[in-house]
Amino acid sequence: MAQQITVDRQLCDNHGQCAIAAPAVFRMNDDGILEYEDSVDDALLDEVEEAVDVCPVQAIFFRD
Amino acid sequence: MSNTTLDAPYLDLADPGFAMQSEQLRSARERSWYARTNFGLAVLRYDEVSKLLKSPKLSQGSAKWPEHNGVHGGLFFDWWTKNLLVLEGEDHHRIRRLLNPAFSPRLIKDLVPRFQALANELIDDFIDNGECEFIRDFAEPYATRVLTILLGIPESEWPTIARLASTIGLALGVTFKRDLEKVDAAVAELYAYAEDLIRDRQATPGEDFVSRLVLANRDGDRLSDEELRNALVLLIFGGMDTTRNQLGLALQSFMRNPDQWELLAERPDLGGKAVEEVMRTNPTVTWVTREAVEDFTYQGLDIARGTTVHLFTQSSGTDPMAFPDPDMDLLAEHAPHYGFGGGVHHCLGHFVARADMSEALPLLARRLAGPHLTGGDEWLPDSGNTGPIRLPIGFTKRS
Repeated sequence: MAQQITVDRQLCDNHGQCAIAAPAVFRMNDDGILEYEDSVDDALLDEVEEAVDVCPVQAIFFRD
Repeated sequence: MSNTTLDAPYLDLADPGFAMQSEQLRSARERSWYARTNFGLAVLRYDEVSKLLKSPKLSQGSAKWPEHNGVHGGLFFDWWTKNLLVLEGEDHHRIRRLLNPAFSPRLIKDLVPRFQALANELIDDFIDNGECEFIRDFAEPYATRVLTILLGIPESEWPTIARLASTIGLALGVTFKRDLEKVDAAVAELYAYAEDLIRDRQATPGEDFVSRLVLANRDGDRLSDEELRNALVLLIFGGMDTTRNQLGLALQSFMRNPDQWELLAERPDLGGKAVEEVMRTNPTVTWVTREAVEDFTYQGLDIARGTTVHLFTQSSGTDPMAFPDPDMDLLAEHAPHYGFGGGVHHCLGHFVARADMSEALPLLARRLAGPHLTGGDEWLPDSGNTGPIRLPIGFTKRS
């Protein structure tokens, strides 16, 4: 099973805390802009939940 | 084509008269996105601060602080070189991953009723006097007792924590070398305190913050006892003075904007906005320090490896290019400020600070009408971490 996630780009400020919490899903490119996988394997859910929690501007959401 | 830095404005940060909220700084910001200073570059505008704060070409610039002050060993030195503030790369990320879950906003939310009870208890003690010394009577005990609540230690022990945090805080001042013996003694005392706490939670873990750190586990990796101890010292070191100073600055901001204070009294739901607006326009952390890890060119300016770069928070937060109407306004939608720093070194404890201050400010506004200075206020210099040392105020008790 996979979970869908989305980052609100209006809120995202590219701090990169998600890329520390869940490097398999989030990474910062060379320009310092966030890139991420929007479909996440269940095995990575714990990490992604930590990324959601730790985001300073709370811009990461699970989609139903 | 590169600019020559000689064209840029110059700011003397060591001048005791230097002020962040000054015509000198505003006109420098209008002329140029950066200024030269006696301690490297200063970045003045919002867009450039936002980008450079997160740039991989800059690292956290405080690692060599003790050495720059002639301190090459001792307990503080050892702690400083291993604490999250100055670690970089995977060494930093590993510790941050293990610490993060304990600072989750969901867990902090459970502490809100205790923050409210604490704020009301402190206000009760002075409300009938019509005056108080706001730092001594509210900001310092509030900031420190929040830490004791978080750490799960008796709130009555707050004066010890406040004393140790203030003493260790001397390490960030210009008299660090002279104060070294005192600082190291305070670190030793705080180590013993933290080690007792860790042993206690290891023996009988609960649901509290320290137990979560003790039990933190990521793919089988855990924090060592030394890493746990260093983290608790960082929490106390980083969490007390900053919150105390920021609360003092918040009161200053509201005394300058009495209509905003009345608005907050009527609308306690604006507590969160109050914190953001105060930190945007009047932050205690006046700059965030970075250091260039390689030679690079930014907006035509050559920045050599090793250059110290100060990212100015108040200046960026009131930059008219990003905030056409930069005055404090709890009802406005403003871009995020950088009073908690940013990037990989974004303040770890910001959810705690935001939660505790956003409870304290509306309670103060609801109970104290017309706060005003009564004289005798004393202030830290406007560099590094600023704020009032003493803030005597008068007010009318609201019925």
